[in-house]
Amino acid sequence: MARPHIEPFVDRDVPFKKMTLPGFPKGMQYKMLSIDTDNGACSMTVLFEPGYKQPPGMSYTEYELFIMTGSVTIGEKVHGPGSYVFVPAGVAIEALSSSRGATGLLFYNHGEPSFVESDSDHPRAERDRFASVNAYENMQWTSTNFFPATAPGCLVKVLRFDQRTHAFTFLYCMTPNFWQDNISYHDCVEEAYHIWGTSWMMQFGELPTGGYFWRPPYINHGAFGCKLGTLAIGRTDSQLYNHFHFNPWTNPEENQERAASRLLHRNPELYKWVNTHGHNHPIDFDYDHGHAQGDTPHHHGDGRVDHGHKKKKRRRR
Amino acid sequence: MKAIPHKRSREVEAWLKRELVEQKRRYKKIVAEQDALAPKRDKWVAEFLQRIQTRGTHVHWDQMRKVRPEEIPVKPKRKFRVVF
Repeated sequence: MARPHIEPFVDRDVPFKKMTLPGFPKGMQYKMLSIDTDNGACSMTVLFEPGYKQPPGMSYTEYELFIMTGSVTIGEKVHGPGSYVFVPAGVAIEALSSSRGATGLLFYNHGEPSFVESDSDHPRAERDRFASVNAYENMQWTSTNFFPATAPGCLVKVLRFDQRTHAFTFLYCMTPNFWQDNISYHDCVEEAYHIWGTSWMMQFGELPTGGYFWRPPYINHGAFGCKLGTLAIGRTDSQLYNHFHFNPWTNPEENQERAASRLLHRNPELYKWVNTHGHNHPIDFDYDHGHAQGDTPHHHGDGRVDHGHKKKKRRRR
Repeated sequence: MKAIPHKRSREVEAWLKRELVEQKRRYKKIVAEQDALAPKRDKWVAEFLQRIQTRGTHVHWDQMRKVRPEEIPVKPKRKFRVVF
């Protein structure tokens, strides 16, 4: 995901814009939070005007919708504040409307926003991955289960978890007077939006309601503090591991080097295998072979990961 | 299937171009604002380095350890960047 480091950004400082992309009905407005320079994937604050109506339809990319205020109705079901919907690429959702208006967050994960009117799924849609939950009403706060863990007082509700990549979308809260005196970085992208409340980080200062960040891997953040409590939504693109330390001045290259070094101690056998195997192209028996799918960076002992593979021609018998 | 291959229209390409230009502007503004925060940040860092020697630094959950004076890192000569 090629998005620049956007941190901090407060969407309350900018006005809504009308959504003018083809396919989207009138009455939807947005504020762009961050956008991928390669594929157009993006995160937006959205406003559905009172009376908004959208026919049944699908998107070419998977997307996630979180409702912050007001409500939208999809088919017969009303989605109020705290509602979260994950819609895989090509899955057609029923007509969406908002009689009194709503605000929310829309995340298009692998391509630009798109809407194609349709009352049936695209042939390549994976409907079984569709997910919908009201996080305020039907989920309980739990402690983070990352090891090493964040300090007590930071609680989460996991809205979606990708079993292959360990990417996840989650609500998190910081209790009043939360503090954590260390510096953290991760191997994954981390993104968050403050639904309510102000928190503080030693690098960036205060992040208020409407505050947002898209943080690429290995960037220092912390120490942390929160006086009155904060409610936020967060996302990662792969597993979140807390690399804690206390050097404020390290850069992403040094942090990545340290993370790789730590991997040697945490997963010595795996590290050894990846480092020494001539053809470091692990095959996951749960998924397609990487060559066929083209999604597994690897090299053939020469360190060059920027290469492709032609399909092997089958011999005619 | 993360995304279904499709052809972008000219309108979509133009929209993307506009958004990317705006993002560049947004990024530059963030960098300038964060540069301006440097004096405050230096003070916060000094306080942090003091606290971790007296109260301790978080290692895991509520486990903390006090950092010895000789472990305190030295500020490098390069520019202190927080936005990359």
